[in-house]
Amino acid sequence: MLGEDYGEGASIIQERSHAIAMKSQIWLLDPRPNLTSIVDMVEKGFQLSEASNTPVMLELRIRACHVHGSFECKDNRAPKFSRKNHLKQPVFNFGVIPLPPSIYAQEKHKVEARLPAAVKFVREQHLNELFEGANREVGIVLQGGLYNTVIRALQEVGLADAFGVSPIPLYVLNVTYPLVPEELTRFCSSKRAVLVVEEGQPAFIEEAINAILRRADMNDTFIIGKEVLPVAGEYTGEAVLQGIAQFLQLSVPDGVDHWQVAQARDSMGSRKKKVGDLLNEPIPPRPPGFCVGCPERPVFSALKLLQKDTGKIHISADIGCHTFSTLAPFSMGSTVVGYGLGLASSAGVAPMFDQRVVSIMGDGGFWHQGVTTGIANAVFRNDDSVLVIMKNGYSSATGAQQIPSTATGGAPGPAEIDMQAVLLAIGVKWLRTVRSYDVGDMLVTLREALDTPQKGLKIIIADGECQLERQRRVRAEAAKKLALMQPTVRTRFGIDEDMCTGDRSCIRLSGCPSLTLKENPDPLRDDPVTTVNDSCVGCGTCGEVAHAATLCPSFYKAEIKQNASRFDRLLDRTRRAIIGSLQGKSARGTS
Amino acid sequence: MNQEMQGPLLPQRPVTILIAALGGEGGGMFADWLVAAAMDCDYPVQSTSIPGVSQRTGATTYYVEIYPAPAAQLDGRMPVMALTPTAGAIDVVAASELIEAGRALQNAYLDADRTTLVASTHRVYAVAEKVTPGDGRADSEKVLAAVRAGARHAVLFDMAQVARKNGSMINAVLFGALAGSGALPLPRDACEQAIRNAGKGAEASLRGFAAGYQHAEHAGGNEEIATPASQAVRDVVPVARVHLKFPVETHAVLDAGVARLTDYQDTAYATLYLDRMEPILALDREAGGAAGGYKLTRETGRQLALWMTFEDLIRVADLKTRKTRFERVRKEVGAGPDDMVVVTEYLKPGLDEFCSILPPRAAQRLRQWAEKHGKEESLSTALHVKTSSLFGFLLLRGLSCLRPWRRHTSRYHAEQALIGRWLGAIKRLGFAVQDVELALEIAECARLVKGYGDTHHNGVAQFERIFDTIIESGTESDPKKLREAISRARSAALANPDAAPAPQNSMSADPGKKMFWAPRASAGKTAEKTAGEPACGSAPVSR
Repeated sequence: MLGEDYGEGASIIQERSHAIAMKSQIWLLDPRPNLTSIVDMVEKGFQLSEASNTPVMLELRIRACHVHGSFECKDNRAPKFSRKNHLKQPVFNFGVIPLPPSIYAQEKHKVEARLPAAVKFVREQHLNELFEGANREVGIVLQGGLYNTVIRALQEVGLADAFGVSPIPLYVLNVTYPLVPEELTRFCSSKRAVLVVEEGQPAFIEEAINAILRRADMNDTFIIGKEVLPVAGEYTGEAVLQGIAQFLQLSVPDGVDHWQVAQARDSMGSRKKKVGDLLNEPIPPRPPGFCVGCPERPVFSALKLLQKDTGKIHISADIGCHTFSTLAPFSMGSTVVGYGLGLASSAGVAPMFDQRVVSIMGDGGFWHQGVTTGIANAVFRNDDSVLVIMKNGYSSATGAQQIPSTATGGAPGPAEIDMQAVLLAIGVKWLRTVRSYDVGDMLVTLREALDTPQKGLKIIIADGECQLERQRRVRAEAAKKLALMQPTVRTRFGIDEDMCTGDRSCIRLSGCPSLTLKENPDPLRDDPVTTVNDSCVGCGTCGEVAHAATLCPSFYKAEIKQNASRFDRLLDRTRRAIIGSLQGKSARGTS
Repeated sequence: MNQEMQGPLLPQRPVTILIAALGGEGGGMFADWLVAAAMDCDYPVQSTSIPGVSQRTGATTYYVEIYPAPAAQLDGRMPVMALTPTAGAIDVVAASELIEAGRALQNAYLDADRTTLVASTHRVYAVAEKVTPGDGRADSEKVLAAVRAGARHAVLFDMAQVARKNGSMINAVLFGALAGSGALPLPRDACEQAIRNAGKGAEASLRGFAAGYQHAEHAGGNEEIATPASQAVRDVVPVARVHLKFPVETHAVLDAGVARLTDYQDTAYATLYLDRMEPILALDREAGGAAGGYKLTRETGRQLALWMTFEDLIRVADLKTRKTRFERVRKEVGAGPDDMVVVTEYLKPGLDEFCSILPPRAAQRLRQWAEKHGKEESLSTALHVKTSSLFGFLLLRGLSCLRPWRRHTSRYHAEQALIGRWLGAIKRLGFAVQDVELALEIAECARLVKGYGDTHHNGVAQFERIFDTIIESGTESDPKKLREAISRARSAALANPDAAPAPQNSMSADPGKKMFWAPRASAGKTAEKTAGEPACGSAPVSR
């Protein structure tokens, strides 16, 4: 099962499964994106795998992965073997071991036996779906995953009803590799033009169809695809509507309301133009970023401050929430290569700089592979480099899954593995652990790592638990304590509005979402003031940054103690009375 | 399939709903409520979203389609529902924030013939708006007008405020407003039942829902609560002289200025302020500023009052220990009357701050000593002062008592000298060419000097550079060109706040990263270099 993303959905455009499927001879399923079809194809996929002795991939686009719908279940069947129903006998068959001569026999077997078996199964089981239509002149061949988008486009030009019934014949490829030549030639025969709706590039399917028709000596059918559809990028509703409308305008089949087709295309253009007229300026972008109180943000604040003295440093970024460092206000990270590859990818470029380079790695990336490809290799090669490991305790960017170093707090289950012990065992000589919120300490430690005459790998562990996870725990605990009338302390930060002069250095150095703007209460100032809103979790980064960067004295920390002891409250009342009387004496105190 | 089975009573297409929200606002919950309510009516429904980290604090969307006919009437057929929104085919856009409504418009999801827009008018500022010094906010009024014009029907009000009032999340108010707008094919009961069944926080959400529903229904969708908060007009002490000598247009600013200066120092300081303002008024009058409502006098009066009340150690200590400030802090952090509040100040006085309260001579000596012994950095100490404790309070209160001494401090002398230079230039050039616009342009330069520490340092340096190289250099005599040069330099300085001024006259902003696949400049050099080679398409041209 694999997820593909051709557009806006995740951080990386994938689009590589089709090529891998073809080269590795793995069958690729691309079911229509409704739950019934998806579930059916899972079942058929297993059968296909058995019938052709080959692994099968089931591709889902990102929105299909998050779809809410319904399907009818079948009864569960007990597996042949399981944790309860154990295997009795191991299997040995040299024929499946990737060593010669087995490997050559397998290669032959793939093309001579498995591929024909797969094509036969796909054909006989009707895995690809043909939706006949009244129109005989044109047709559409499409990847299964795009079916709903294509139907929506046909609906918009009046060529499909709510249930997808259309006069235009559709050949839906729920299996995009291997193709079934007989089905394609039959679909295309006697049609003047066929549109291929294929997301991703190169256009493997479109090219294959052209080759299949040529081989069958069918030269009367025009195959149209990337001429009217985007070569790359996600096939959004608008892109497909545009493409289908243009295809219909080019092929001019009978029984199509051409005025409506033209209307659909024109209105897209005029809507765009109208939007441009209404909005003179572009809407400010809002990319994702570090959460309120994120322990990774202060590390980048420290790195930003560091570069005020050192000049720009080559920073080798990594995959994880910390990739947000590449966005404003930090804008740092020259390369992002892969999960856990921050350090490994810096090894080649580091010796070319006259200053040490800094690599970033999350603890998720560390366990994924960074510990071997990055750290063990750097120690082994005695690379002179600096690595910051973000130890937040989870694989946060993917939804806070547990990793080997997740703090278990002595709870039963897998035990926490001590990262520091692992690093020392590997032979790391220069190792520091800094609380990630201590921007000042982090700055000093980073400077030391850059300046120390000691060669070799220098590792700083930035220690701070993922704030999303921490808040889930802390909030529940605080609510419980409050309900029991036990003392609790809540911390949050604030900015004195009469001291803020609006230069926004604090935002440029932290970018915390809780740091925002509000109207200036001072009648003489027209720029807004910076303020800390109620989402603040009291991590302290803004105060630490104000200290480390010597910003301004506007920041304050407030600890709100509820259900304090009677003695504490008495003391507090006395203190407030004295301070109050001192404030009262001065005329200015009350102004 | 039997075409006749689809009787005329069945809807032609699903109702399409695009939810535009910020990550973490409960947009997913909102989509789930819609799904549950539709299922309650036995309507086929589908929802999709964009997952995970891609929405963290950023703009995100959820997409829901509801086919408003009971599944039982469809003979087992299922309508085809799209996973991606198609521009022009959206019936409802629900946005939890004004700019996100604007983004839906920008992406052409609003159709003036089809789309109902239900959106909150409050603002959550984007990083791009917040990092700019001064005011980098998008123009809310413009966006509001644009989204209203772009939709068929618009329900717009400040849902954040309604949510706060009802102790709910904004998603419940948005859901209520959507249900109340009449664009949703679901009855109110089903919606409320969906919230109830979801459990967690249902009571608060139901309150929010009801409030949102009521707003949308009764306001006919065109009530607006959101306004850029009106500036609190403080009581300002009028001073007879202001009202005697200055035109009425300038009274508000000058009254506020006089009040600020008296509060900052004393009446004599306020008198100095007005002494400085009189020649500016004279210039304004002479150059015909009356027609423009004495803009030069107002603007200079505003900047001068702010500048003269520069934020030194004494001022900060004073503001931090005021009674009003203590009350404000308790209110801001939401402390109850019985709660204890410990307030810790993040202060970091350094060499500059120590020097600033010494007389000029002594300050100079201290600075020289520090430079000689390399103590410039080490003198600065990060302090955590608890103003809620007696010791911390008294420490700062004591410092604030140095106010009468302020006129002897080096910082006071430095600031007054710079103010003198600034006002001098306004008067000299203003009178010389009788150009209010030019004088205004110079007056605006005072914006550069503000803040604390490095920010203040850089600001002063930028200010001095503009004066050295443009205003006082005498190289430009044409007032229009001079005005433009000043404006350009000032904008560049404001746009690049973290940089000390460049050594050359070019104050251009950082050109940013060059991408290797972008064509390398159109310069002839590149052409020459590659002339002998075959055209190499997208291959990067090596340097």
